[in-house]
Amino acid sequence: MNGNTKKRILVVDDEADVRNFLKAALIEADFEVITAEDGNIALEEVKKQLPDLISLDLVMPKKSGAKFYHELTKKKEWSKIPIIIVTGHARDDLGKADLKELTMSGPGVYLEKPVKPNNYIAAIKGILKMEVTEEEKQSAETVNLQNDLKNIIDSADSDTLKKLKEILNKKN
Amino acid sequence: MKNLEAYKKHAGNEKIHSRILNELYQQIPDNVAVIDRNFNIVDANNNFEDHFGKWQNKKCYAVYKKLDEPCDNCPTKDVFNKGTPVICDAIGVDKIGKKTHYIAHSFPIKSKNGKEIEYAMELTRTVTETDRWQQEYHILFDRVPCFITVIGEDFRIVRANEAFRNNFGDMVGHHCFEVYKRRKTKCRNCPAEKTFKDGKVHHSQKTGIGKKGQNINYAVSTSALMRGNNSVAHVIEISKDITALKQLEHKVIESERLGAVGQTVAGLAHSIKNILMGLEGGKYIVSLGLAKDDKAMINQGWEMLERNFEKTTSLVKDFLSFSKGRLPELKMVNPGDLVNEIIDLYKDIAAQSGINLKSEIDDKIKSAPLDSAGIHTCLTNLVSNAIDACLMGEHKGNEVIIRVFEERGQLIFEVKDNGSGLDNEIKKKIFTTFFTTKGGGGTGLGLLTTRKIVQEHGGKIMVDSQKGKGSKFRIIFPRKRLMTLYKETKE
Repeated sequence: MNGNTKKRILVVDDEADVRNFLKAALIEADFEVITAEDGNIALEEVKKQLPDLISLDLVMPKKSGAKFYHELTKKKEWSKIPIIIVTGHARDDLGKADLKELTMSGPGVYLEKPVKPNNYIAAIKGILKMEVTEEEKQSAETVNLQNDLKNIIDSADSDTLKKLKEILNKKN
Repeated sequence: MKNLEAYKKHAGNEKIHSRILNELYQQIPDNVAVIDRNFNIVDANNNFEDHFGKWQNKKCYAVYKKLDEPCDNCPTKDVFNKGTPVICDAIGVDKIGKKTHYIAHSFPIKSKNGKEIEYAMELTRTVTETDRWQQEYHILFDRVPCFITVIGEDFRIVRANEAFRNNFGDMVGHHCFEVYKRRKTKCRNCPAEKTFKDGKVHHSQKTGIGKKGQNINYAVSTSALMRGNNSVAHVIEISKDITALKQLEHKVIESERLGAVGQTVAGLAHSIKNILMGLEGGKYIVSLGLAKDDKAMINQGWEMLERNFEKTTSLVKDFLSFSKGRLPELKMVNPGDLVNEIIDLYKDIAAQSGINLKSEIDDKIKSAPLDSAGIHTCLTNLVSNAIDACLMGEHKGNEVIIRVFEERGQLIFEVKDNGSGLDNEIKKKIFTTFFTTKGGGGTGLGLLTTRKIVQEHGGKIMVDSQKGKGSKFRIIFPRKRLMTLYKETKE
């Protein structure tokens, strides 16, 4: 794999530690990485050069993840950029509404902080339909399954939940 | 005495006596009629005829009410049946056909042998406008859903209405303080005492003890009943039971407190997630560095680990101060002194950054029950935020002003800066969970802690801010709520 074919990932997060962590994991997996600390800077980066994927935090000062996403949808070529959401606010009042809107209307994948490097890379490779290592594949599958299950559980009625519990208990 | 003897002698003479009775019969200001068992009016005085019209050879019901048959609740019948006097209130028709409201006293007249009732004598008195007003006044006084007492100069209750009697017992003649509060001496700040002195209306809120020992919160107003023009003869105390209202107010304060706790827990979870993410990242980068033997990378990762451990420490510290004491420790303090303390604390830091920090203290401000340490924390948070906002702003000549003043029964602290200001997006979030715009610099607990302390005082915090122009934070404490809390914490 030479430099020109490297996929470009734009990491948007207001926390420097998170940006550095994700950046290190992505570089290790042979991606090219640009970082931005809020939605405004991220938009500037997108204007400069289109990334292949955007890793997006939801709750940020200045321009939030949701607002940034709305800006992207305004332009056709921007709206096609795949997005993975990495957030700590998946279940609280601050991020829940934004996340629901985003997962309903556009990018379907989200990871909840704290994320493991393997899961993160596997999820990104999954979205970009890239070849994954056996280790990443397993992680990605687990993550996807976990996500699917979380979604099912979140919207299930109590009967379904009871059945689910029975099945899981039998397995153990 | 001689005259009385003479009169008795004279009256002993039956002729004189019957003349007097006859005169009485005609002159008494009531309408008198004599009725037999068959409802025939057999005699009546002139007043009666003047009022009800001709009665000769007529039945009583035809004359009193212009009816063709006996009334449903006939008092005359009762007199004949029971042999005792009967009083009733009725509406009839006078001689010109107008409705007339009267009270009738009927009593039996026995036959000569004294064994049977021969006639019923009926004295009717028409109820005048004044009488009706008086009656209505009595009903109003008794039935109005307030406690009403009339109090004499010696603070003894002269009259009390039904609501008062039901709640405090029939205590006419007792001292008001004894009844309302079970005290042996006058209450402090007694509104009735003030009214006795100046004749004006005074208001107060008190907690009394009912006859079953229950607490009764009431809002009382006192007004004067004047003797002549200058002196107050009696004071009328009108109190409204506000126990339910007080309980509701208490619940509101309590639920605001609980709400703050819920948000705190959610916020705490988020903060911890962020720290975990930082630790996860640090660990990962260190292990990458070790694998690659890359010292710079190991250093980078190690710094991340250190930074996030540090964050854990400050989070725990902030969280402990946040969770400290659910009830504020209220003491009467001068709000201006609290502001001066903050000025002393921050003036050097502000000066070093080229910021003019000043205070504007309303010199008429009265002391208030506040938790000094809590308010100190609030003002510290707001002032340090204001200084940060000035440092982030782009223009020079920055200033931070702390004001304290009184407005419509509210004590208000204000911290105003002309720094960077907040946009709408951030304004919505500043009081919610652990929000920080300072990257790794803040735990996001400052304003949350401030809001919590303010809410525990029964107050609220408001922000007015414009991007690029500055912010104004106001902490608003309604004096009444402060006093309520103050009393509660003392009890």
